[in-house]
Amino acid sequence: MKPLIKIENLAVELQRKVILSQVELSLEKGEILGLVGPSGCGKTTLLNTLAGFIGQHAGSIEINQCEQLIKISPDQMLPAEQRNIGMIFQDYALFPHLSVRENICFGLKKMAKVEQECRCQELLTLLELTELGSRYPHQLSGGQQQRVAIARALAPQPSLLLLDEPFSNIDARLRHELMIEIRQLLKRLGMTAIFVTHNKDEVFTFADKIAVMHQGKVLQVGKPAEVCQQPNSWQVADFLQLGSWLPVTRIVQEQSAQVTSLLGRLAGNAIVNSLVDTQSDSRGIYQLLVKPSDIELTQQQASNVIVEHISVTEQGYHYLLSSIEQNSNLAFSQLSFYSQELFTLGSELAVSLKGEHFLLYPAPAVTN
Amino acid sequence: MNIGNKSTSWRFFSWFFAIALVTPIVVMLVASINVSSELFDHLWATVLPEYIRNTLVLGILVAVLSLCFGVPAAALISQTNIVMAKQLRWLLMLPLAMPAYLVAYLYTDLFDYAGPVQRLLRAWFGWQAPSDYYFFDIRTIGGAAIVIALVLFPYVYMLTRTAFEQQDRNLLRASRLLGCTERQSFYQVALPLARPAIAVSLALVTMETLADFATVQYFAVNTLTTAIYDTWLGYGDFAAANALASVLMLFILFAVVAEQRARAGQRHQSSRPNTQQQRKQLSVSQQIFASIFCWFLVFAGFLLPMSLLLVMAVDYADYPQFLTLMATGKNSLKIATYSATIATLIALMLALFQRLHQSSSRMLPMQISGFGYAIPGTVLAMAMLATFGPLDHMINDVAKAFGFTAPGLILSGTVFAIVFAFVVRFSAIANGTINAGLGQIPKSLDLAPASLGVKTVPAILRVHLPLLKSSMLVAWLLVFVEAMKELPAVLLLRPFNFETLSTQIYQLISDERLEQGALGAILIVLFGLLPIIFLNRQKDSK
Repeated sequence: MKPLIKIENLAVELQRKVILSQVELSLEKGEILGLVGPSGCGKTTLLNTLAGFIGQHAGSIEINQCEQLIKISPDQMLPAEQRNIGMIFQDYALFPHLSVRENICFGLKKMAKVEQECRCQELLTLLELTELGSRYPHQLSGGQQQRVAIARALAPQPSLLLLDEPFSNIDARLRHELMIEIRQLLKRLGMTAIFVTHNKDEVFTFADKIAVMHQGKVLQVGKPAEVCQQPNSWQVADFLQLGSWLPVTRIVQEQSAQVTSLLGRLAGNAIVNSLVDTQSDSRGIYQLLVKPSDIELTQQQASNVIVEHISVTEQGYHYLLSSIEQNSNLAFSQLSFYSQELFTLGSELAVSLKGEHFLLYPAPAVTN
Repeated sequence: MNIGNKSTSWRFFSWFFAIALVTPIVVMLVASINVSSELFDHLWATVLPEYIRNTLVLGILVAVLSLCFGVPAAALISQTNIVMAKQLRWLLMLPLAMPAYLVAYLYTDLFDYAGPVQRLLRAWFGWQAPSDYYFFDIRTIGGAAIVIALVLFPYVYMLTRTAFEQQDRNLLRASRLLGCTERQSFYQVALPLARPAIAVSLALVTMETLADFATVQYFAVNTLTTAIYDTWLGYGDFAAANALASVLMLFILFAVVAEQRARAGQRHQSSRPNTQQQRKQLSVSQQIFASIFCWFLVFAGFLLPMSLLLVMAVDYADYPQFLTLMATGKNSLKIATYSATIATLIALMLALFQRLHQSSSRMLPMQISGFGYAIPGTVLAMAMLATFGPLDHMINDVAKAFGFTAPGLILSGTVFAIVFAFVVRFSAIANGTINAGLGQIPKSLDLAPASLGVKTVPAILRVHLPLLKSSMLVAWLLVFVEAMKELPAVLLLRPFNFETLSTQIYQLISDERLEQGALGAILIVLFGLLPIIFLNRQKDSK
């Protein structure tokens, strides 16, 4: 079966600046893809390019609509209104001069009046907006406005729905509930969707697939659990905040490797990813991904860390630790560690690494 | 911050000035209710219906023409890649600096039977008499409407352009994704969203048109403003003039109500600025057509009349003319400076009262004081005469009763009445500008000085006034320029042998001798350009 949307080698330049390059993505019908990445990484530009608001400079976008394949390339552009793609904007972009009902019917002008009315009523019921049809957007709450935006986008039955940070304007308490509700709705309708967020928690709740972007490129695509277990780069692991970073050196001797840090040594076979063959930084330093559960207090060595920050969480006290030795190449700070025991700020502790499965990455290039 | 123990005096002065500014209008309205003038009855039975019809027709024609000029220009500048958009953006505002009566005179001179255009056509085509060809007669109500629209359309252009530029880009994008083409998006989303701004600008244009006196007088189109002038100065019937002024007030009231309703609709307007709007790429033929349209407006509304004035000035300027210009210019500057300073200070006081006072009625003084903007200069002059005339008589009677020499008409017969009228008429401009500036200052800055132990007045002097400096300057400048240009009120209220630039030019136009006042006319236009240049530079620097 052909994917519903296939993006190949997509590149976008704005004002002679490369915003997207070599973007490759594909999505099956009914799948929800979460596009994540730090601010300015090109997520919204990708969405706007798919929608037809920004022209691509290279690559192609294929949309498989009702057995008809639409191919969009720099030589073969298609205006936004002919792509059959729906979009829910961050600010919802509801037409302030039109009522809820008129907003929903806006994209149904080609239908007969009766059909329009029928479709509108169906969506009002589906999104529990029946009572609000004659109201204007400014008379609605944020959640209601979002429902209207969804109803309006779904009305022309688009083949793909784009959602640009749809939950950013919603109260934190309601957000999770709404995410589940909208996900269920999209699944029920079999709607294919791409949604943009910079919040990693949203993507785990909402998406079937996740694509992590960095500096205009898609670094990794996969199921959320897979990406979390095997992030393919330092940037992916760092964005998803999978743990703290511990600088280490790696020495290969007689076919076995040893990884050394200020918290002790690890055997080479504790490193489970194969990225260690790529280059380290100029000082020979790598970054080891350390989860809080990989650290334990020990009595067997001298103190090696100092408590820099303490906070209380459901899992116990959360500490941020720094190395006592700060002049070393392997000095670190902000190492996350949980304990049920309360230490005071500035306490010196002895900790060591206890896990057996670690991920090692080349240190990111330092940019000035 | 509360204005605290200054509250009582501040409240008193705020209400005092607000009531003082609105009193003459109330006096005029009350006086006109009890009018029993034979002349008014006669006018009503003879010419008044025609005057009212002319006023309405002129108002509608100017509004329609301004709409046809202003909205497409705003759309082309804000939404397309028209060539020289950056220059046209401010050039299209320049006609606002050109008084309509000047354009009226210059175009009549140009397009009349004896003017160079018709002479040239007759020479080319060998026509001998007017019956040999048809040529548009400029001295008609249609001609007056075109001339007035050519200088007033920038109101529609400016407000509509701003509305287009402030529309949320995502609204247009949403409409595209819902199947609209660029053109459909414009008509179904952009234009309806700009409707409140268009309505506000049309209300302004209508008010200015109803207030116009000199243009219609020159074109011999009888409207209510000319009727008021003729009834008072021609027939000496103050009561009838007062009643006519009240009728005109009713028309203005309609325009104000329409404007208020439009503003109420603005809550639908998005406040999110459209920073990176994608502009429509015009084809070559569209580009040519759009450029011709915009440049025609700049040419007809500003460049051509200004060139004609410059030619006149070069041909006819002499030393005696320069001396007269100095004398009348000094009078204009004096009146404009007094008016601008007083209006700005009152606006500052009322705006701070509105912002810092706790009472529920704190908005009223500013609203009341701004009412005068809607009132034409001719009506306002009648209101001043209705109020200050009896007051002067009273002062003289009291002086005589105490054995002093009667001081004469110290209120209605001096520049006091003119300055008072200008402050009443232009307070709304100063109020709006300073209020907008105050709106930019976060509310927390009202509270911060108190938390640092600084009292109210020092806090205003050290925090609010420095932050309001630019708004105060703009307010002053706008009132100053309006006062320099204003004609009808000065014509009716000026003391004997007191001429300003505008009255002198009006007189010369009436005598068909504008050549001798070309320098003064250029000066008025140049003063009119000041706020446009200043505001444009201020916007660019942002």
